[in-house]
Amino acid sequence: MTLDIVLAPLALTPKTFNAGDKVRVTVSFKYTVGINTTIKLCAGPYYINNFPLPNTHHMVDPCVGEADVSLIAASTPTDKTASVDFTLLPKAQGGIEDGTYGLRVWVEGTNAVAEQDGLIIVTGNPGGVSDMFSAMMPMLMMLMMMGMVMPMMEEAE
Amino acid sequence: MTLKTLTLDLGTVSSLQYSTGWYYDPNTGQRYYYNAAQNQWYVSLGGYLYALGYMNPAPKQVAVAPGDKFKIIISFKYMGPAITGILSRWAIGVYGALGFTEKIAITPALSIPANASATPVTVSLDQTLTIPASPGTDWDDIYVKMWGGTPDLGGTEQSPAYIYGYENALIVAGVSVVITDFKISDFAKV
Repeated sequence: MTLDIVLAPLALTPKTFNAGDKVRVTVSFKYTVGINTTIKLCAGPYYINNFPLPNTHHMVDPCVGEADVSLIAASTPTDKTASVDFTLLPKAQGGIEDGTYGLRVWVEGTNAVAEQDGLIIVTGNPGGVSDMFSAMMPMLMMLMMMGMVMPMMEEAE
Repeated sequence: MTLKTLTLDLGTVSSLQYSTGWYYDPNTGQRYYYNAAQNQWYVSLGGYLYALGYMNPAPKQVAVAPGDKFKIIISFKYMGPAITGILSRWAIGVYGALGFTEKIAITPALSIPANASATPVTVSLDQTLTIPASPGTDWDDIYVKMWGGTPDLGGTEQSPAYIYGYENALIVAGVSVVITDFKISDFAKV
């Protein structure tokens, strides 16, 4: 009797970032290549919706970062780690809205891609719903106070 | 660059010639050729004869890169007179349904020393091929064939006296990078 155990990679834990933060992603992989070469490593957040097809992943293009990674010629599979930075460009600058996003990393021109849903939680975008509420709070308070004071004034008359 | 080697065992080589013949499969219309000396069947495809079953699973895989020297060693048992001027072809390429598509090939003349004893001895011959600057990553099959010589081993280039090959013998690191086990290790604010 044999027991087959498959060890799956541990899922990454979601993290919260502020709009405007720079995020560094580290990847590991094995490679073979016959000549010294440079690959382009890309990373960025993505969201999922049902357009044009169900469960379609869309990159938040303004936030995608790139990095050149040098590979030394290796005819046998060789371990390599590399990192790439990307910036969570605020919504006001045409970037990302507050919310939860997946993280995708890939190597251009290859089929190397890694991604996980719901890893990046973005908050702190100025102009978000909470900020609008904060800005309107004094006005609302005044209206509420007036609403309480006016009936009292009418009673006094 | 690195020198990599791989050995092929051709079995027993004989300098004697035997009668041969053509056969026809009425069900498929395919013509076959039988070499009794080798107990080997050949199939006729595109004007060439390919030995049935001459390609075998490679006992090991050798990783090569552009510019590497790749040495193929063949070995076989031999008993008989010295043979000179044996024609041979050593090739790296792609083996598929329509036969072997050669990508790199050399055609050296070989010699086998005399063995006058009553028992066959092992003879080894080798040749070195150079992997070019832009190899295909599917160039992973090899074969060696021999024919002719004095005295004559028999056969022709199209229907060699001896042929043997390995499938998936090479892992070719081409110009394009091949990436596996790609995963996210970590991500954090910087």
